[in-house]
Amino acid sequence: MRAMWEFFFGVGWLATLTSYLTITTAILVAGSLVMMLLTWIERRGLGYMQDRKGPNRVGPFGLFQPIAEAIKTITKEDITPTDADRWVHFLAPVVILASTVAAFAVIPWGNLIPVDINVGVLYIVAVSAVHTVGILMAGWASNNKFALLGGMRGVAQAISYEIPQVLSLVSIVMLVGSMSVVDVIQNQMDPYGNILSWHIFTPVGLLSFIVFWIASLAEGERPPFDNPEAESELVAGYMTEYGGMKFAVLFLANYLTNFAICAVTAGVFLGGGNGPGSDIPILGTLLSVFYFLAKSLGLFFVMVWIRGVVPRLRIDELMHFAWKFLLPLALVNIFSTSLWIAIIRWGAEQGMGIAEALGAPGSIARIAVAWVVTAIINVVAFFLVARLNATRGVTTYQATPTAV
Amino acid sequence: MTATPEQTTATQTALQPVGGGGVVVVERKQPGQSYGQGIAKGMAVVIRHFAKSFTSRIDDKSDQAGMFTVEYPEERMELPEAYRNMPVLLYDDKTGQELCTSCFQCERICPPKVIHITQAKDPNTGKAVPAAEEFIIEYDSCMSCGLCHEICPFDAIKMDHFYELSTHDHLAMDQNKAALDRPISYYQAIAPNLWAAVEANAMKKLQNNVKRRPGNIGVAPHMIGKTQKALPTAAAAGAGAAAAARPKTPVAAIGKNMSPEKVARLEAIRAAKRGGATMPGESEIVAPSPVASGESGLHVAESQAGLAPSPATTPAPATGPVAAVGQSMSDEKKARLEAIRAAKRAQGGGQ
Repeated sequence: MRAMWEFFFGVGWLATLTSYLTITTAILVAGSLVMMLLTWIERRGLGYMQDRKGPNRVGPFGLFQPIAEAIKTITKEDITPTDADRWVHFLAPVVILASTVAAFAVIPWGNLIPVDINVGVLYIVAVSAVHTVGILMAGWASNNKFALLGGMRGVAQAISYEIPQVLSLVSIVMLVGSMSVVDVIQNQMDPYGNILSWHIFTPVGLLSFIVFWIASLAEGERPPFDNPEAESELVAGYMTEYGGMKFAVLFLANYLTNFAICAVTAGVFLGGGNGPGSDIPILGTLLSVFYFLAKSLGLFFVMVWIRGVVPRLRIDELMHFAWKFLLPLALVNIFSTSLWIAIIRWGAEQGMGIAEALGAPGSIARIAVAWVVTAIINVVAFFLVARLNATRGVTTYQATPTAV
Repeated sequence: MTATPEQTTATQTALQPVGGGGVVVVERKQPGQSYGQGIAKGMAVVIRHFAKSFTSRIDDKSDQAGMFTVEYPEERMELPEAYRNMPVLLYDDKTGQELCTSCFQCERICPPKVIHITQAKDPNTGKAVPAAEEFIIEYDSCMSCGLCHEICPFDAIKMDHFYELSTHDHLAMDQNKAALDRPISYYQAIAPNLWAAVEANAMKKLQNNVKRRPGNIGVAPHMIGKTQKALPTAAAAGAGAAAAARPKTPVAAIGKNMSPEKVARLEAIRAAKRGGATMPGESEIVAPSPVASGESGLHVAESQAGLAPSPATTPAPATGPVAAVGQSMSDEKKARLEAIRAAKRAQGGGQ
């Protein structure tokens, strides 16, 4: 890309600027288009899950419904409440959208890699955490009790669930030995095109996937963790006082966050754009984009599916789930990841003389032993934590005060 | 709100308080729902619904999954026969004679009072004719309760199945007789069973009424000139007999085949039972009696009887209301009519 612009302009810095502007524009346009597709998938999918059709009037299969709605939101009046903090109210959607879009900088679309930085995983986590600030800004600046409650909930939830989310990613980073998203995806590339090389097909990766996926649902405010915008309790949460295009921006950011989650999950656990034929020079790039989108949208469908099944958690149940269930599991998973690495890679030098008996590092016997050991640890941990939560987490009610 | 000590004790024992603070522990463990099994089951249910929505429709009430949506402008639900939307008037297909006799029963029962009838008058004599000159229903205020359809003794007003009535024009919702008229064949098409149940009776009554309609009075406006004056006939053969055989009122207990003595005895018993319950001036306009429906001159006689206040507090066979029935009738007939009326009075008195 840069070389192409350098050819046209002949100036280095201008070429660099232009090429990155092109990439940014492409991401924004593709992001908006994907967001439209996601709203369509969500509404049609939920419709069919509920024995009805969903939007089906505008365009073929209702595919142009998001366009109609975009026109509607654009033509609406832009309202700022009188008592709102005008500047913060205006900046909140900007902050939220910016942090979301920034995460896309390091997410590879198959073989198309916008930027490959060596701390990509950390960058994604750090940048998407900024959108918590935007939520609090929106909730505070609206000067509305529902908005403030929603904002506070959003912050509490995002901070709580970030911890298991990051800790589950730590396992994968340990496995790969690099924080670069591209390296994480390359690590799952099997020379034989075997999908079993995906991270999700190891005991460590599976538990990591479960924890990461659930925590990400909460990060993206997806049902059953949509407490910040619980419409039955909080009108629309921190989005209550937003209308027209500002609301559309918040909505866009919400769906872009969801898509980023799906894309990261697909990349980290499902091999990103890897698939049969994805290493062929030109066709392979197209194929890899297709694989990447198929995996991401498939994961988004799972999001919709979960939305169709699980009712919203109560706010204390939400916190219990993060701190008492996901966090211990993520910690146990880090432990079993280190065992996995020790059994497969280490020898006498690292103090793992026993492992030498199984054969050379990376041999089948070592992998088998690592598999069994980590599987036992993770399964036992899962049932133990679930069991402890089941006995500890009995519902308590305050009995009606009688004879007062 | 205060509670008695007994209630307090009962509550505490039932809920097993933990500690001293009135906190109770409710065990909500259900088998097969821990460790994520409950969510797995739920997801299986939802994906089954998702898949079945593509392949099947919910046609039967027992279907639990499948597409529920009926895409209205292109698809329509099949309406049940007894579906009711707005009332319409029926007329005979061949002769154009309307079934309505302007008896005002529907106007009287209509809860929002949206029915307005003008009775037809004979232009020569100025007397009322059993037909409606104008019949207006304000559709915009009609509540589709169907009471007019239920009360109509002549099965002249029926509930239509047409429901696409939305309009900008309020006044256009006032439907006059020309707009309300529907041929019987139309109603037969939308509600075949309901019409079959009342057809014989309705056509018999129509025949009787048509005899008393001079000229084009009672003919649906757009049918005037297209038909000849003729008696409408019921499609079903033996309509009168069928109607007579159907026991509808207590009067039917007095059979047609009974001997005059027996009828007289029954009549005497009933008269004794009803005592002096009849109110003076009790109206007897309506006589949809299956037994009497075969007599042609009956309606005239009865309307005359209805106009005159009936002073009878004791059953007097010769001087009571029977006297109004008609001088030319046979004794047997008179006795039967008297019996019918007695039964009706007994009914009215009992209510």
